[in-house]
Amino acid sequence: MTIQEWWWQVYELTLASLKSRYRKTLTGMLWVVANPLLMFGVQSLVFKKFLRLDVPDYYLFLLGGLLPWIFITQTIQMSTPTFVNYTQLMKSFKIHPHVLIYSQILDNFVNFIITFVIVLIPAYFFYGMSFTHLILIPLPLLSLIIAVTAISAILSTLNVFFRDINFILGFCFSLLFFLTPIFYPIEFMPAEYRWMVNLNPLYHLITPMRDIVYGKIENDFFVHLGKSYTVALGSSLISIGYWKLKRNDLYARL
Amino acid sequence: MLDSNLVAKGENVSLHFELQHYFQNSLRDKFISAVRNPIDTFFGEKEILKILDGISFEIKKGDRLGIIGVNGTGKTTLCRCLVGMYKPQKGKIEVNGTVRGIFDTSTGIMPELTGRENAYLLARLFYPKLRDLTSIVEEALEFSELGHFADIQFKQYSKGMQSRLALSIISSVPADLLMLDEVFDGADVFFQTKIAERMKNLIQKSGAVVFVSHSAKQVEKLCNRVMILDKGKILFDGPVDQGLKIYLNSR
Repeated sequence: MTIQEWWWQVYELTLASLKSRYRKTLTGMLWVVANPLLMFGVQSLVFKKFLRLDVPDYYLFLLGGLLPWIFITQTIQMSTPTFVNYTQLMKSFKIHPHVLIYSQILDNFVNFIITFVIVLIPAYFFYGMSFTHLILIPLPLLSLIIAVTAISAILSTLNVFFRDINFILGFCFSLLFFLTPIFYPIEFMPAEYRWMVNLNPLYHLITPMRDIVYGKIENDFFVHLGKSYTVALGSSLISIGYWKLKRNDLYARL
Repeated sequence: MLDSNLVAKGENVSLHFELQHYFQNSLRDKFISAVRNPIDTFFGEKEILKILDGISFEIKKGDRLGIIGVNGTGKTTLCRCLVGMYKPQKGKIEVNGTVRGIFDTSTGIMPELTGRENAYLLARLFYPKLRDLTSIVEEALEFSELGHFADIQFKQYSKGMQSRLALSIISSVPADLLMLDEVFDGADVFFQTKIAERMKNLIQKSGAVVFVSHSAKQVEKLCNRVMILDKGKILFDGPVDQGLKIYLNSR
């Protein structure tokens, strides 16, 4: 298949799944956006007002970390059962299974962008965010989407062999949520624990994004960006290798 | 590159799977067995299940090849190799032109969407190279006789209606190599005669056809060459009447 043919398939699948989810209504759209907004509302209430974390511009700080975190975890959890869900289709005739993953990711990405814009517009006016910073957003977004796609493809394949992956994944994400500096800055962590963060690929995907939203673009922004692209590249390579290795078993076990 | 007269060629094609005695379908079971019996879990000898065992063949233009054999002899696996779903561990397969294979005929993609929307999706996935699908899909819908059912949700379709939809779509465009794996089941009797006619038309327009079936009668009617598979090897490859005789006597 050429890239164009890939794109036609992914595009039409995505369009169809958006359609089937929202049935073209605005209410359906609101439903999807409500989840991250509520999450954000509750967390900012608890951490800022109740626990009184001492972080300047806390809302912006939380927003920059939480939105990508929700995108990553939700997308991965939604994509993991993809191959199992499409068993019949995948066995009926030849399609490239990754097409199904890509459309699932694109679908979630559209939601993410909508949520992001809805939240960012008020933040932009309240906090006077710098427009030149915001222009940089596609850079971390690209690495984020590449990494999430690769991880989803790996896990969706793994899920064919071990059907309880998604269940375990949900559990792991809820543990990781506390161990990843999202609602608190990494400086709150004692130095002897920081290795955990350095080994956490999700953290590296989130930081450059937060640098931009939080308006903290300094020299290390490009270091952060480099790390996030390293994660994206690494997971892509693993994903390609794993697909080559497991392709026959995948079809046999579906 | 293949000779222009050849549509597909397989050389010494082998495919096997590792068989596990205690099939673990969840990470939890894997974990339990790893704790109980770590050596066996990670280093234990795995049984190898040979599906295709070094087979070689050629498919020429105009071939209507019927593949027969008892269950589990690798008929479908061979077709899946030809269409590119499986990659043989040994040997190689070369194909000239577009290959399309159909292995199941009652598939929909998004049950919440209407039959028509599913038809477009199905066509998009099945004919990746075609830009405009409107004429194909509308013609197929017409053929399927689903009428106003085309615009109700796919999940409300009966099994037979699902088959009608999928069968009509996948029998629209000829291919250089067309593979039909027991495609005539599913639809009702009236539609079966109609779809058989359409399939015959499709077969005539396609370069070569591989046809998997358990029905000797259908093979006799449609094919000009027969291949008998047995335990992953080719037992016979030649004229239809001779092949069917061998096959029916072998049981």
